[in-house]
Amino acid sequence: MSTISIILNGERKEVPAGASVADLLNSVGAESQNVAVVVNEHIVRPDARASVLLQENDQVEILVFAGGG
Amino acid sequence: MNSLRLGSYTFSSRLILGTGKFSSASAMIEAVRASGTQLVTVALRRFNREQLEDDLFGPLSEIEGLTLMPNTSGAATAREAVKAARISRELSGSPFIKVEIHPNPHHLMPDPIETWEACKILAAEGFIVMPYIPADPVLAKRLEEVGCSSVMPLGSAIGSGQGLSTAEMVKLIIRESNIPVIVDAGLRSPSEACAAMEMGCEAVLVNSAVAVARDPAAMASAFAKAVEAGFEARNAGLMPRSGAAVATSLLTSFLGAAS
Repeated sequence: MSTISIILNGERKEVPAGASVADLLNSVGAESQNVAVVVNEHIVRPDARASVLLQENDQVEILVFAGGG
Repeated sequence: MNSLRLGSYTFSSRLILGTGKFSSASAMIEAVRASGTQLVTVALRRFNREQLEDDLFGPLSEIEGLTLMPNTSGAATAREAVKAARISRELSGSPFIKVEIHPNPHHLMPDPIETWEACKILAAEGFIVMPYIPADPVLAKRLEEVGCSSVMPLGSAIGSGQGLSTAEMVKLIIRESNIPVIVDAGLRSPSEACAAMEMGCEAVLVNSAVAVARDPAAMASAFAKAVEAGFEARNAGLMPRSGAAVATSLLTSFLGAAS
């Protein structure tokens, strides 16, 4: 199986070629969390996550709400 | 008159609570409940599967009547703050954004120029914009002009517990302002929150003072009472100050009268 390399939350990660944003969320255990996903500075809304496919060197941020003042 | 109006929202509670620095998510939730607050701040963080308990969205969304106000903490420029605001709105579904832009981690003082720039953009995008600002009446007015829904001058440095060291400037902001003025940052004790309300603030935002108290829920409750007391006192009308004593009893002279 061929893989591609992306940057996830600042760290390099290998994912299967053709993986979608939804696949990535599943693989990191974030599928049931309320997360925001940003790929190359663009927000990927929940209804688009299955159809947006990751590309080599994509910069992906998965974000949640934590405590803050 | 008795509710706090921010954008199209109204709140009966005038205490806004920050959710940072609590020893645990459950301590934070207990404090939120004890405070009766209807508006809490949260911050964006990277997802980490080893620290799922850091994700506060689930526990907070179980509290009825609570609105989230994400902050842009971590942003050092207007561009970063606008980006954080847009991502936060996706996640919260709330139009509230606390614009917080501080480039220097030592003093955490807000950058007025970047703050103004970010607020102008976000207000035009329909956010309910709540900027954390230095206690500067000129900046406050400029932020009102670009469509902010409130201004939130600091009482003193974030987390410092130095109280209302900017009191005179905050009074000037209140006098000139047509939008709610909310003291944010630096408050240590409920009496300071009460003083801010008596002075004319429409609400106060507290985090550290509650989060690091020995009993955060009890401190949250104490702040809620103080905020309410200060608001009620202001509406009741404080008596004028006098340089000399003004007797409260009739000064009749019968005790000294010759018998």
